[in-house]
Amino acid sequence: MNKLLEKKNPAKHIKSFGFLALLLLLPVIFTAVDFTYGITISCFVAIYVIAVSGIDIVFGYCGQISMGHAAFYAVGAYGSALLSSKLNIPIIISMFIAPVIAAILGALLAYPASKLVFHFLSLATIAFGEITYQLILQSPGGITGNAVGLATKKVNLFGFAFNTSFRFYYLALAFVLLLLAAKTNLVSSRVGRAFVAIRENTHAAEGMGVNARKYKVIAFATSAFFTAVAGSMYAHFVGYISPDTFTNKQSVLFITMLLFGGTASKPGPIIGAIAVLLLNEALRSMENMQMLVYGFLLLIVILLLPGGIFGMIKDLFYKYTHRGGKENAKS
Amino acid sequence: MTMFMQVFVSGLVIGCVYGLIALGYSLIYKASGMMSFVQGDLLTVGAFLGYTFYGLWKIPVAISFVMVFILMVLLGFGIERGIINRLVKKKTLPIYIVLATIAVSYILQNGAMYIWGSNMLTFPRLFSANSIKIFGVGVQPEALFCIVVSLIAMVILHIFMKYTKYGTAMRAASMDPMAARSCGINVSVSTGLTWGIAAAMASLAGMLIGPVYGVFTTLGATIGRKGFSSAVMGGYGNMYGAIVGGIILGLMETFTSGYISSAYKDLFAYIILLLFLFVKPTGIFNERAIME
Amino acid sequence: MLKVNNVTLSFGGLVANNDISMEVPAGKIIGLIGPNGAGKTTFFNIVSGVYKPDKGTIVFNGTEIQGKRPYQINKLGIARTYQVINLFKKMTVIDNVVVGMHSRLNQGYFSALFKTKKAREEEKMAYEKALELLDFVGLKNRAYQLADSLSYGEQRILEICRGLASNPQLLLLDEPAAGMNATEKVELDQLMQKILKKDIGILIIEHDMKLMMGVADYLYVLNYGKLLAHGVTADIQANPEVIAAYLGGDE
Repeated sequence: MNKLLEKKNPAKHIKSFGFLALLLLLPVIFTAVDFTYGITISCFVAIYVIAVSGIDIVFGYCGQISMGHAAFYAVGAYGSALLSSKLNIPIIISMFIAPVIAAILGALLAYPASKLVFHFLSLATIAFGEITYQLILQSPGGITGNAVGLATKKVNLFGFAFNTSFRFYYLALAFVLLLLAAKTNLVSSRVGRAFVAIRENTHAAEGMGVNARKYKVIAFATSAFFTAVAGSMYAHFVGYISPDTFTNKQSVLFITMLLFGGTASKPGPIIGAIAVLLLNEALRSMENMQMLVYGFLLLIVILLLPGGIFGMIKDLFYKYTHRGGKENAKS
Repeated sequence: MTMFMQVFVSGLVIGCVYGLIALGYSLIYKASGMMSFVQGDLLTVGAFLGYTFYGLWKIPVAISFVMVFILMVLLGFGIERGIINRLVKKKTLPIYIVLATIAVSYILQNGAMYIWGSNMLTFPRLFSANSIKIFGVGVQPEALFCIVVSLIAMVILHIFMKYTKYGTAMRAASMDPMAARSCGINVSVSTGLTWGIAAAMASLAGMLIGPVYGVFTTLGATIGRKGFSSAVMGGYGNMYGAIVGGIILGLMETFTSGYISSAYKDLFAYIILLLFLFVKPTGIFNERAIME
Repeated sequence: MLKVNNVTLSFGGLVANNDISMEVPAGKIIGLIGPNGAGKTTFFNIVSGVYKPDKGTIVFNGTEIQGKRPYQINKLGIARTYQVINLFKKMTVIDNVVVGMHSRLNQGYFSALFKTKKAREEEKMAYEKALELLDFVGLKNRAYQLADSLSYGEQRILEICRGLASNPQLLLLDEPAAGMNATEKVELDQLMQKILKKDIGILIIEHDMKLMMGVADYLYVLNYGKLLAHGVTADIQANPEVIAAYLGGDE
């Protein structure tokens, strides 16, 4: 429903305030129950939420597939690590510059790729992902540390070092809130409507005055920015990056999370990231089963749960609230 | 001369394998307008099955090959019937079907790892001779076998598609499903069969490359991804283009790594893929445009 | 307002539109009729920028528009509907209309990202205007449903409403009555008269001759990609060539 015409709902404000309070207290709660590992997982959730929300913009809203987003994750991670270590740029700034570079790369890729239909767009993005991976594996002058990888510094803001999971959590939370707000603003605007129109019917969108190519490029660039921010967070949180993290498996993991959680929504990427990461933890003891499970997970979601978990919840909620009503509306 | 010959032969070997994989892509695209990401991992499964039958159970090589073919046709058929066709019927967006094939490829690859383990296995030699001489240069007989059998398989497929009743039915089904259905052709079985044949082609590639490269779980994944480069280069959907594209890619890769540097060998296929997609998406054989 | 001069387009060897000229003035309904496959929709696609003609010019308010992209032509003031319904199915009815306003809205990327005051005001204005438009076409009570859930006839009306949203001077309607029942056709007729009062010119393709003869001020008849005849409806109805084409065709 249209938010603009909705009356302000005080109950909603209280709910979101409570939610924020819970998020702020989460590390304290984890510490109190002596489960500090929960804070680390929460940090990873934050990182993935941002990356997957980025893919949601280009895939969920604009309908353009990318199977090479690990490349933008890599540009964010290596870009920020190298900018801060080689050029001595403060990390908090390099964490912004690297995603801008990723956005430019995304636009450069999307401009010629926007002509391609989905099948071939997926090939182009895979190729882009592989090329980026090979270039960090065998970089010119070994600047990325090649297979060995790079050690990265922690974020330090005005003398305060985000060097523990507890501290980093608050930085990550700030990033998540900021970027999700930006995403929400964007998708509910003229730009976001153009994205969805392109997804629903590119020809009609053009006929209604939407320059499809321009908006595909914008969606790709924005998406690349988000995923690269996540990459830079990863780099400065973990303290070490190597090519293994940036293979095409990472790209598929992002998409799995998105589909699992549900596309074209705010909660979808959050639910997807949490669910898949928790599953990951559950499967930690049998590591070589992990990818097998992802495969089945992805297949089951596509076959049986096309709206993801959030889509399913929405449907159930709809059925519940419209129970007995005459309206037999489509989902 | 010796080096040239060796590089040339190994280029042809991997080129034929790319060609077989790309051939599968083109078949599937022609038959159902789909893109399948399973081909590479079907190659892996084929290689493992061949290894099991021939290497472990010591079944004669010809029978082993036939058994693998039959299993793989069933597997390909099953993937199409059980998953792809279901999604098509539900009018799922095509991109989700592509993602479903990726899911299947994950299941195959990691299922193979679960069954056969993550170590590299040695596919036993097919021939007793260590090398045979061509133009005075020693070449591994398995390499020659790979090239010859691939080419024969391609010719047989060509004859099958062009001159047999089944081939005609399959081509008709892919060109105009409605018209084919009204002629009494079972379109869905024919589409399933196409996936089956593509799977058999992939497994053949796996058993041919196995003795040369060894058998491991990610054997097919890389080849499968690079195979896309061959298919696009030749013109996606064009069977002859797929073979030509495969051989060109194989030769280019081995010659660059043989004479220039092996550092960027793996980069090559993807740069070609991007270049063709952006500059000449219809490929060498000018297959119908793949753009919107 | 719209002046088409000698437009020709061929696909391969097939000439889909051959040397067509026509004029559409403001505030009038111009009909385009002809048997199936006569090239009517192709002609619409040329005017709206989907295809570029091989020859000929299309002048809209003094600007040559042939070869421009659809979104550019929409911005200049030509909106259209489609023969096959082309709504954004998973968007709400009102969102469909607001997408139609795309070229009339100004907020850019960054003002959207930061939801500036100006952007918020524009959004509010856009949704209010969209409601007005929906009210105008009689779909206001459907505003927050998915476009998908409307009846066939309502979807056709929504397409027109979405077209009107860009504030066009010329509206191209491609078989708007297809699939409509008798009541809906009467409503469509009334709606078109209301649109004319806004001084918008309408170029319409329609197979329903009764509707067409009733609403059109002037008719153009296409046959095999060529202009067969044009004139006021009474003249066209009496034209032996037109009658022959229709009887000979498979309509």
